[in-house]
Amino acid sequence: MSADASDLSLVRRVQRGDKGAFDALVLKYQHKLVKLVMRYVRNPAEAEDIAQEAFIKAYRALPQFRGDSAFYTWLYRIAINTAKNAVVSRDRSPVEYDLDRSNTDESYDMQGRMKDSETPEGLVLTDEIRSTVNAAIDSLPEDLRTAIVLRELEGLSYEEIAAAMACPVGTVRSRIFRAREAIDRRLREVFEGGLGRAEELG
Amino acid sequence: MNEELDSQLSAMFDNELPAAECELLARRLSRDPDIKARWGRYAVIGAVIRAERGIALEGIVAGRVSAALSSEPALSVDALQPAGRRLQYRWWQPIAGAGLAAGVAAVSILWLRSQALPDGSQAVAPALAARTAALAAPAAQALRNAIAPVPDSFVVPPVSQRSTMVVPATELADYVVAHSAFSWPVSRGNLLSALMVSEPGTSSTPARSDQPASGVQGNAIQNPK
Amino acid sequence: MRSRIRSSERIGWLALALTLAGVASADEPAKWLERMNHALTTLNYDGTFAHWEGGKVEMLRIIHRLEDGTVSERLVSLDGSGREFVRTGPSLTCYLPDRHVVLVERTPAKVSLLSGFPAINEQTARFYDIKEVARMRFNRHSTHLITVMPRDEYRYGYRLWIDDSTAMPLKTQLCDAHGNVIEQIVFANLKIRPTIPDAAFRPAISTTGFHWLRNDSAALKETVTQSATVWNVDRLPPGFHMTVRAAQTMPGSTGPVDHLVFTDGLASVSVFVETHVVTTAGQAPVMESARVGSSYAFSRVVDGHKVTAVGEVPPQTVRFIADSVKAEKPSESAPPPATLGPLPGGPFAHARPPP
Repeated sequence: MSADASDLSLVRRVQRGDKGAFDALVLKYQHKLVKLVMRYVRNPAEAEDIAQEAFIKAYRALPQFRGDSAFYTWLYRIAINTAKNAVVSRDRSPVEYDLDRSNTDESYDMQGRMKDSETPEGLVLTDEIRSTVNAAIDSLPEDLRTAIVLRELEGLSYEEIAAAMACPVGTVRSRIFRAREAIDRRLREVFEGGLGRAEELG
Repeated sequence: MNEELDSQLSAMFDNELPAAECELLARRLSRDPDIKARWGRYAVIGAVIRAERGIALEGIVAGRVSAALSSEPALSVDALQPAGRRLQYRWWQPIAGAGLAAGVAAVSILWLRSQALPDGSQAVAPALAARTAALAAPAAQALRNAIAPVPDSFVVPPVSQRSTMVVPATELADYVVAHSAFSWPVSRGNLLSALMVSEPGTSSTPARSDQPASGVQGNAIQNPK
Repeated sequence: MRSRIRSSERIGWLALALTLAGVASADEPAKWLERMNHALTTLNYDGTFAHWEGGKVEMLRIIHRLEDGTVSERLVSLDGSGREFVRTGPSLTCYLPDRHVVLVERTPAKVSLLSGFPAINEQTARFYDIKEVARMRFNRHSTHLITVMPRDEYRYGYRLWIDDSTAMPLKTQLCDAHGNVIEQIVFANLKIRPTIPDAAFRPAISTTGFHWLRNDSAALKETVTQSATVWNVDRLPPGFHMTVRAAQTMPGSTGPVDHLVFTDGLASVSVFVETHVVTTAGQAPVMESARVGSSYAFSRVVDGHKVTAVGEVPPQTVRFIADSVKAEKPSESAPPPATLGPLPGGPFAHARPPP
């Protein structure tokens, strides 16, 4: 079983003309990509623009993607190049080439203050989402919480989590699924009940 | 709600679903807005857990990309890449065996070491040399490329045919060294560093000198602009 | 619904940044460059850096000392070639163990490494846009990011991350006129030291069996009276002017070589003129071009003399200058033309005091 079977199955659908499958890829990676681009531009809105551009570029370049590398690795590079180009062409501002994923370099504006990029103004929904998810996680049974945190925060595979929690892989899969279900029950309300984000998709 | 399906969806999101089942589920995922929405919320959950601050969690980008795609042509496997469009990210595709991960891991080491500045830091070079020695040549090259940024516009053209006339290396080095005393200190640093790492010998192209000779690095030079 | 004012927010943010950039003193960026030049030439330091060019990265070590007016410098390749360049005062020795050659180059005595490089002045601003773009942290050091962007395609641009406390450039990028990076130097570590012992400047290799090539200093004196032709240029790229006219010999040859230096205040191009020796009977004169890193060289034959231009400028610039070199007939009453050292009135004419 290829570690990348999930993404590849979607990629192959896109390559055969199924745009809806590309939506799924975007949904999965959009946060990571915006976060990545924000190492090059501090403005979240601009980062979103660049991330959008990167996804479009990836879509157009998808015929050339042959699966030699993981899809996200390929996408990651497109995003970095797009971000760098955007910054360089904008006003010849320098780009701090980011070689290390855990880079902690910070940049200052001319006054020397660090730009605070907490929750951008006007994104009340983000706060609501965050607090909903956090509250849901806090009220999870411990084995479910541990499983989902090990997966999402530490990036461990099911096998690694099984080893860490001393249980079978099937149990890991079930725990993660049930954790997501519990959280999603509350999250769904924020999405569907509130602002109809789901309508914009596919 | 089909619990089995959702369990599959959760596993597929984590890249833990067998390939055959992925194919089937991908089809449903692509077509069913409810399943797609759930998949999207799985991504949001992950983003919150990783405390990714400063970004809009509800995911603006997906909607905009989806809208933009509506005016893009659907792909087809037979679609040919238009000639002449450069793959600017070619440098970063992993070399078989070494993979991008090796490059990134080594870069982390390099930067971690370089964090400890003036006070008592050890030389970075031995670690790098050891790592590159341990890797096969193409992987070592990928590693070196990973360490320094590759400007998107700089494409190294294939090595051109060298002519048989060879200008003695010392002659070019003479000029460069004699000139270096008159260089801006920053340029002098670049110049002498480049001379240090250059291949000895240049070749010259009779008469047609708009094409700078393949020279010091063994690469043909891209023509200016 | 989520607020849609973010477009104007974004514009406001950029405008604010630009305004703040304008508030700083107009001179300040150029002053940072001078401080940097001063630091590079006068501080004692020992550092390791990565030199990136042409898709390749090499690690090098630089040790530099100024003591009693003498510059000592040692540049070592850490990647296995064993090459070293060691400078002691006016003499630069290049150890090339892979070629079994040692090159010894002596700079004309009147040219000082401390003040011999181009001077940034008001003229320079006509051809380069020099500004401080941001304060940035680089490896936990606070730096000033100074960009020097050329206004045409005859010269390169630079981005310099200049350390706030030492004025050393922790990271340097050389760019073309479009801002694309061509070459980069990034320090992995850099120590400023109060003193550095002589032993630090001794090369680490054995030179047994090496072929030594030096300037012939005896022949140097003769060039003052021998060289009867004055070489000059009939046109130059915008902003370039001649600053040095010197004569010397090249290591490995005894013939006189005229050396002219042209600069625009930042970039400099040397022109070497020497008698062309045709080595193969019947061989037509050739034009040759070559490069070392991002510096280019171009040679052609004029009136039986070989003219070579070399400098850290784009290839069209060295070509332009090399193509413009002409022999002048010396007037009967003029004294022997070759002057050693700077022309009077040029930027090199007097030692610039440190800022």
